[in-house]
Amino acid sequence: MEDEHLISKKDVLEKMGISYGQLYRWKRKGLIPEIWFIRRSTFTGQETFFPEDKIVERIERIKNMKGEHALDDLADVISEHVNAKIQIAFGKLKHLGWFDEDLGRAAGIVIVGNDDGTLSLRDALRLAVLKKLRRSARNEEIDLASRTLDDVIGKSGIDPSVVDGKTLHLFRKQLSGAGISAEISVIIVAGDKLTADPELNRIESVDLGGMLQQVKLDLAACCDSDASKNEGSVNQSDGREEHE
Amino acid sequence: MSEEKRSVSVSGAGVIDGGSYSRVSISGAGKISGDLYAEELKMSGAGSVNGHCEVVHLTISGTGKFTKDVIADEMKVSGVAKVDGAVKVKELKCSGTFRAAESISSEYVKVSGMLHVGGDLESEIFRASGGFDVRGLLTADRIEIHPGGRCRAQEIGGAKIDVRRYGNRDRAGLLDSLMRALSSAWGGEVEAALIEGDEIYLESTRADVVRGKQIHIGPNCKIGLIEYSESLKVHDDSDVEKQTKI
Repeated sequence: MEDEHLISKKDVLEKMGISYGQLYRWKRKGLIPEIWFIRRSTFTGQETFFPEDKIVERIERIKNMKGEHALDDLADVISEHVNAKIQIAFGKLKHLGWFDEDLGRAAGIVIVGNDDGTLSLRDALRLAVLKKLRRSARNEEIDLASRTLDDVIGKSGIDPSVVDGKTLHLFRKQLSGAGISAEISVIIVAGDKLTADPELNRIESVDLGGMLQQVKLDLAACCDSDASKNEGSVNQSDGREEHE
Repeated sequence: MSEEKRSVSVSGAGVIDGGSYSRVSISGAGKISGDLYAEELKMSGAGSVNGHCEVVHLTISGTGKFTKDVIADEMKVSGVAKVDGAVKVKELKCSGTFRAAESISSEYVKVSGMLHVGGDLESEIFRASGGFDVRGLLTADRIEIHPGGRCRAQEIGGAKIDVRRYGNRDRAGLLDSLMRALSSAWGGEVEAALIEGDEIYLESTRADVVRGKQIHIGPNCKIGLIEYSESLKVHDDSDVEKQTKI
């Protein structure tokens, strides 16, 4: 994995203006993934560091969720209990960057009905990963990745520990001899370290754990914006009544 | 629900198949083979569940062994319990001995006996008057410890952390003085490599590093390094090697 810029816990607190209590609470609620906590011994004793870009982005996102209620919804969405069962109507998902119905069909994700159809978290993750791959992958490689993902995340539900810290890589390798050249595609899902032979070209990599977190946050934000929209419309109709 | 769930009790020696039950009670020696789903499980003899265990109320006053995860709303251990998988409960009360090989996540934890955790212990509120040994992180919004034995965690983190001997509050009742005498006889002490919180009060604590906003170190502490951002008070009977305002 590439070297990321790290930031110490106390610097995160100062920079983001949050407390130890908040940080530990979010960690307990699963809003900050375990693998981002990097423990190191320094001359001042044991310290925890985080990948700076990721933690800053995540905390801003958590702080933007309005109120404790939304935070609990988010935590519910992320909690493993709900994980297996979460279903969100397609109608709400259309604006999400990783959502793509055509790709879903191609990947064999069953889309029931139209806007009222729902998507499981497992399929949402598959969709998000495939969407990211599609920038550079060919159709048969998408199919290969889809089948590999099936093996990794299982047929039903998602256990976050299965994808935490894992990355899906797409490689291609040129083979040539006797005037004929061919190219083979390889999909590998691996942990932190992966060393491949130098002739293998890495085309794309997707951090599965990170992607799962992202998908969950997007889904949670969906629920959140939906809830606030509803409140808004209620207020409006109240207003109209008063005018009449 | 279309069919009524069965209740079952073992008072001699017996094996029960896993499955869904209303109430399960083991007062002799009983083994449940397979995953168990029940409203209530009581083990007052020697019981074991060889499988995943998901119940609403779980009471262990004898010995209980669980080979996989335990999920419950309420778990009470007054005997001896051992769980090889993860523990997910809303409320845990341990006045006996409880060994969890993996992690415990709960909303409320009260320990007056002894609690061993192989991984992390997460809760909203954590109260201990007994002892504990948490190999990973002990985290809760509120952590209140009256060390009544050896209290050890690799790391302790939360909003408010309060460690104090019994009897050091304003009250001076009989129970308090008794508890104070007992806890000093047992040499109750908290040990951690790292303690982090917003408001920290410590007594009888040994820690390598303590970090927080408002830190108050009471008597009988030995701390390697304190990093604080707002305020720091240190009792004369405590030893702090180094302190820095950050």
